[in-house]
Amino acid sequence: MTGIIIISLIAIVILFLGLYKLDKAIVPLAVAALLAAITSYALAWNTNIYYFNNMLFVDNFAILFSILTIATTILILLLSPGYFEKISSNVAEYVALILFSLVGVLCMVSYNNFSMLFIGIEIMSISMYIMAGIRKKDLASNEAALKYFLMGSFATGFLLFGIALVYGFTGSFNLETISTLVMESGGQAAALFVAGILFMIVGMSFKVSAAPFHFWAPDVYDGAPSLVTSYMSSVVKTASFAAFIRMFIVAFAGVIHIFTPTLWALAAITIIVGNVIALYQDTFKRMLAYSSISHAGYMLIAILALGPDSGNAIFYYAVAYSIASVSAFAILIKVKALKNSESFDAFNGLAKNNPKSALALTISMCSLAGIPLTAGFFGKFFIFTIAINQGFYWLVGLAILNAVVAFWYYFRVIIAMYMKSPSSDEKIEYGFSYKLVLWIAAIATLLFGLLPGILSGLL
Amino acid sequence: MESNFLPSDYFPIVLQLLAAIGFVGLTMLATHLVGPKRKTKDKLETFECGIEQQGDARAPISIKYFLVAILFVLFDVEVIFMYPWAVNFREMGMQGLMEMFVFIGLLLAGFVYIIKKGALDWE
Amino acid sequence: METIVQNIQTVPLNNYIILSSVLFVIGVLGVMIRRNAIIVFMSIELMLNAVNLLLAAFSAFRGDPAGQIFVFFIMAVAAAEVAVGLAIIVMIFRNTRSIDINFLNRLKG
Repeated sequence: MTGIIIISLIAIVILFLGLYKLDKAIVPLAVAALLAAITSYALAWNTNIYYFNNMLFVDNFAILFSILTIATTILILLLSPGYFEKISSNVAEYVALILFSLVGVLCMVSYNNFSMLFIGIEIMSISMYIMAGIRKKDLASNEAALKYFLMGSFATGFLLFGIALVYGFTGSFNLETISTLVMESGGQAAALFVAGILFMIVGMSFKVSAAPFHFWAPDVYDGAPSLVTSYMSSVVKTASFAAFIRMFIVAFAGVIHIFTPTLWALAAITIIVGNVIALYQDTFKRMLAYSSISHAGYMLIAILALGPDSGNAIFYYAVAYSIASVSAFAILIKVKALKNSESFDAFNGLAKNNPKSALALTISMCSLAGIPLTAGFFGKFFIFTIAINQGFYWLVGLAILNAVVAFWYYFRVIIAMYMKSPSSDEKIEYGFSYKLVLWIAAIATLLFGLLPGILSGLL
Repeated sequence: MESNFLPSDYFPIVLQLLAAIGFVGLTMLATHLVGPKRKTKDKLETFECGIEQQGDARAPISIKYFLVAILFVLFDVEVIFMYPWAVNFREMGMQGLMEMFVFIGLLLAGFVYIIKKGALDWE
Repeated sequence: METIVQNIQTVPLNNYIILSSVLFVIGVLGVMIRRNAIIVFMSIELMLNAVNLLLAAFSAFRGDPAGQIFVFFIMAVAAAEVAVGLAIIVMIFRNTRSIDINFLNRLKG
């Protein structure tokens, strides 16, 4: 909670720093504020405090996801020096918008009342609508902004209609009150209530880009500037999933059996659509966009197989996925700047000129694909374990099959880097903070891949 | 929740609707029949309070209007949060007042930012 | 104050649910069918207002003010959305001189 206040205030301060042309101070100040926020969340461990008349409940689940999203944002901000300056001189506004968006994320992961969920989602989304369109003259960026905006508010409409119906049935927005009522009804639910939850599932599926509500995601991820895409595909996605699963863990755990077929179908379609279409992509960025859809499918399995370990499984998956995707986008940004292309061919022979960045990208691709010894493997492993324990054998079989198919497109870029010859001898130059991010990402991926116990027992 | 209203209770509304439509229809018919018809070029033009008309009404207007209008909408709507506070002013006491100060302070910070950014400068 | 709530309650709750569902569906269809970005945007606002009506009705029938406070939040957030959305549409209009949704098919694959 202190974290939310720190970040909001510093974001406003940063807006004013921009007015007084103190651009040098912006990123250091933002990173310092985020570190302070992480500390404040870490100090709240195991305290389980309610804030604002039970609107927010900062339990360990909320703390873990808050720290993950804040840490990912730090990594992304460390990549930003030199990136936003090329787009326009409004750097302070961009950083401030990212921080505002993070405030929304923090509300989403610790909400205990549906009004907080709605406000959190909107604070996060409205900032991202702007960030998607910061390249004002670029038509792709314009299109991404408009599409993201229209689809995002469309989804919010569904979510709100669901919330209204649930409110009509239960008479409360409070998750725990709703949960008590659900438990008292003994697994039976009125049509109005079921319809309400279905509408909420549709709204959240839009937000996490689960098929068949995914169609906006590839275009938005493709059209938005790469650094913004990395934020959207890591922090925004993690937060949406945290909010999604929190809804079921706290409020609707008693009636989830009604929605098993729905979630089953959502997960299966999402995994298949994401993986199959990713096979046919020519550009690395669009491939990452479709792969992020398939990852949404894997994480949906954890919601479907709801149990005491679900939160932990999704957290581990989100950690692995966020770190790997930030480092993949970091290298994409540099390759794009060098070759002015986002296709797979742009990565040809990267290993010859830049062996270290090729290695970092290889590690992140292996983690996304779920190769053992990387964090991504245990992410998938935990989710499949809880699904098998609950008897979803067919779905897990399908997911494993698709994970194998996914090797093909992840390895395409690795093959391009190591097997093909480079078109020129230019080397990519990295700044200090850039190197730091890549090192942190690579080490964290390997560390969590070798010692999963560090994170898996926390929740 | 039994409804206490019969369909016949809506009769006054129907009556008023009929009166409204009837008045409009009757006036239009009457002026059509009674009024003299002299069609000249000037009379067929769009009437703009006597001034000669200038181009299409859909001409693009300055983006400055848009910016001011949007900012107005933003600040205007925030006032709705003051209604519940004003109604419960006494019950909420000092704490409510402080919270409202924080809220207004944040809005004010935004307003100062807008002014400094020059969004309200017309030239 | 009591009389307003009583007046609202003279109409059965089902009628409110049906009315707001119909408004919501009109909004959804508008988003799917219309090609003008502004009209799509208006349809989304219609969806939000259908929700507002539903919340207000539930709130009045249950005698619980939380629903009406939620309506306030939806209105305030919708205003922020309008600001951002119109700004995006204006940005696109400057670049393409059109606000047709068919503009949204440049990115493919």
